[in-house]
Amino acid sequence: MQTKRRRLVPSHRVNIDRVFHALGDPTRRAMVEKLSQRPLSVSLLAKPLAISLAAVIQHLEILEKSGLVQTEKVGRVRTCSIKTAGLSIAEQWLDERRTTWEQRFDRLGDLLAEPDEN
Amino acid sequence: MKAMEKQAVTHHTYVIERSYPTTPERVFAAFSDPAKKRRWYATGGNCEVEEFEMDFRVGGNERTVRRFKPGSPFPGVALINHTNYQDIVPGQRVVIAYTMALGEKRISASLATFEFSPTEAGTNLIFTEQAAFFEAADGTKMREDGWRKILENLAAELARS
Repeated sequence: MQTKRRRLVPSHRVNIDRVFHALGDPTRRAMVEKLSQRPLSVSLLAKPLAISLAAVIQHLEILEKSGLVQTEKVGRVRTCSIKTAGLSIAEQWLDERRTTWEQRFDRLGDLLAEPDEN
Repeated sequence: MKAMEKQAVTHHTYVIERSYPTTPERVFAAFSDPAKKRRWYATGGNCEVEEFEMDFRVGGNERTVRRFKPGSPFPGVALINHTNYQDIVPGQRVVIAYTMALGEKRISASLATFEFSPTEAGTNLIFTEQAAFFEAADGTKMREDGWRKILENLAAELARS
């Protein structure tokens, strides 16, 4: 049986300075939020943003370098999506699950430290 | 789009070990006594306990409904556990199979084993969970909420520096 120990630092760890820089801008945060709903073409991503397509492409480059977003060109359409490697929901759930049980066992310890009522 | 439509199941096994300065019988009693179990198992965290019913015997079921408090990742959403007792050996082990659902969607199904062993200092508890997480069960909403939370945390972090 294989057991999996909790990793304190995710192995996929992206460059945190780049991520902070990428998300330090409200337009880029809006783009990430949009893409977290579903992948979009560059033009659809640009549409609700009140900036030029060129500016959107510049922002996308920064997001791509930070490892948050990936783009793929199919035919004449470039599609952008969130790069979820290591940030998968299953991975988050596992962490959440383990934390939940750890907290439970802490509470069990507190309960056992009390004298029995009878 | 393709990745989001994929019905992926992710399997994970993990172990948590604890030692308690008391007898295995007392640790076991915290599992078999519903009032005690409710206190350490259902209560706490960012949820309110709405229901907790248990039938502690092999084949017996347990149902826990907790609801996320305001300010938690999924405010107002119910977190429902359905547990079935697979094996019980007093003072030694409890084996359960359980599913967890977030609202209407099941997010995982697991086999979980609690093993109690006496030590000089008291009792060792070894908890092993073998889980199947249903990736597709998260839905767009949860992915979105997950990301929103990450972004908010980062924004808070940025505001500090």
